[in-house]
Amino acid sequence: MPSLSLEITIGILKIFSFVVPVLVSVALLVYLERKVLGAVQLRKGPNVVGPFGILQSFADVLKLLTKENLLPSSSNKFLFIFAPMLTLILSLIAWAVIPISSTYVIANINIGILYLFAVSSFGVYGVIIAGWASNSKYPFLGALRSAAQMISYEVSIGFVIITVLICVGSLNLIDIVESQKNMWFAIPLLPMFVVFIISALAETNRLPFDLPEDEATLVAGFFTEYSSISFGLFFLAEYANMILMSSLTVILFLGGWYPPIDIFPLNAIPGIFWFVIKVFLILFVFLWVRATFPRYRYDQLMRLGWKIFLPLTLIWVVITSAFLFYFGLLPN
Amino acid sequence: MFLVGSFFLFAAFLITTCIFVIFSKNPVNSVLFLVLAFLNSTFLFILIGAEFVGIILAIVYIGAVAILFLFVVMMLDIQITTLMYNIKRYVPLALLFAGIILAEIIYLTVFKTSKVNIDTFIRSKNNTEQIGDVLYTKYFIDFQLSGIVLLLAMIGAIVLTHVYRPTIKRQNIDSQNSTTAKDRVQLVKIKPGEGIKDD
Repeated sequence: MPSLSLEITIGILKIFSFVVPVLVSVALLVYLERKVLGAVQLRKGPNVVGPFGILQSFADVLKLLTKENLLPSSSNKFLFIFAPMLTLILSLIAWAVIPISSTYVIANINIGILYLFAVSSFGVYGVIIAGWASNSKYPFLGALRSAAQMISYEVSIGFVIITVLICVGSLNLIDIVESQKNMWFAIPLLPMFVVFIISALAETNRLPFDLPEDEATLVAGFFTEYSSISFGLFFLAEYANMILMSSLTVILFLGGWYPPIDIFPLNAIPGIFWFVIKVFLILFVFLWVRATFPRYRYDQLMRLGWKIFLPLTLIWVVITSAFLFYFGLLPN
Repeated sequence: MFLVGSFFLFAAFLITTCIFVIFSKNPVNSVLFLVLAFLNSTFLFILIGAEFVGIILAIVYIGAVAILFLFVVMMLDIQITTLMYNIKRYVPLALLFAGIILAEIIYLTVFKTSKVNIDTFIRSKNNTEQIGDVLYTKYFIDFQLSGIVLLLAMIGAIVLTHVYRPTIKRQNIDSQNSTTAKDRVQLVKIKPGEGIKDD
């Protein structure tokens, strides 16, 4: 029985072992995004700071930190400062339940998937508080858009998660991954996989659904009034959320830390490698989509969420449960 | 010891935030305190081991209901003084509801004794499975009835707010997709000096 202080130290070290890689990979993801966009648009992308420009994001962070933090005089000061912190905190606390491998997770709780769903649905508060506290018209419009958008797509994400849970019979994330040992859920539940990725794009306010920060109509949307480190926190949170949603996709549909086929040279590689590679692939899809598709109009976004995804996912829940029940495949 | 301490901590937070919900001058702050109140009640549920109920409370009330409240309240332009004046008018109604809830709590805790030995029931399975076991079997009728109540409320809200305006222009995606070049563009050969007749 280790002493309490030792346990706390181990806990803190464990938390750091998640948070630090996430923050570093945020910086690398920003660099990757600019490189991918550059490649798609036949440009070079960042190539000056460090070898191949890999230190570009770190230089950008330093630049943001040294800038002056402006407080609009008509804003609600407390909420204005609080909103970016809340956004970043929410995008980091979700990592508490993400299992990187079958043993490596900070908190292995019974209802991990519901916890993730709850935390990701709280994410809208940062945006909406920021938009309201700025007391300015573009942030406010951005906040309203994002509130409506995130609630709409949460509904279909919820049904997709329910479909997976019916196949697993547990709300524990490790159980969800382990039930995919032989067959990734992306194969039998392919339509749900696609719906989930598209909804994840909408949930993280990424293109083609980045209407809350649509620069063509709203300047910068909800963070128009933000500068310096408070802008940096929003930025960090957005990319941390992207990584989080990719990890969730990997856990729900791509078999987490399992190799594609369970044969010798593949299953000898540690699971964390497979996990990271799958997350990387999903992230690449995020960036690819950004480079390829034009932005949705607001009514099209709502139509897609409520009139296409909601009926589709709802029907798929019924079909899946009926299929499993009829063939006696329901998990106990 | 730790559990009891956390209970009193969260309960104290819960009551404090509820008081702030009522006495905040700014309605947006009221809603944000309401969110904190929901969060604290989630913690209380988790403390008694009902983590499923707690998280569902958080998802439904914080993740959806309170956001919609906030959404509406943010767009209001309320005079703060009239709001404070109005609160006093609702005191009798509030006392009535508080009395009903108090009576229910007393009825449930004092007069009605549960037939199930709750302690062994709780330990035997996790509460997610327990709810799953009884929701569609023992409480099937109640569950469906509450669903119908919610459906009625939803239809009511749609009927109240939906106004059909024939003048409003909408995008008809089917007709747009079924449009071909022939419907929109016409190739006309114009002889010199004639021009196109407008028909």
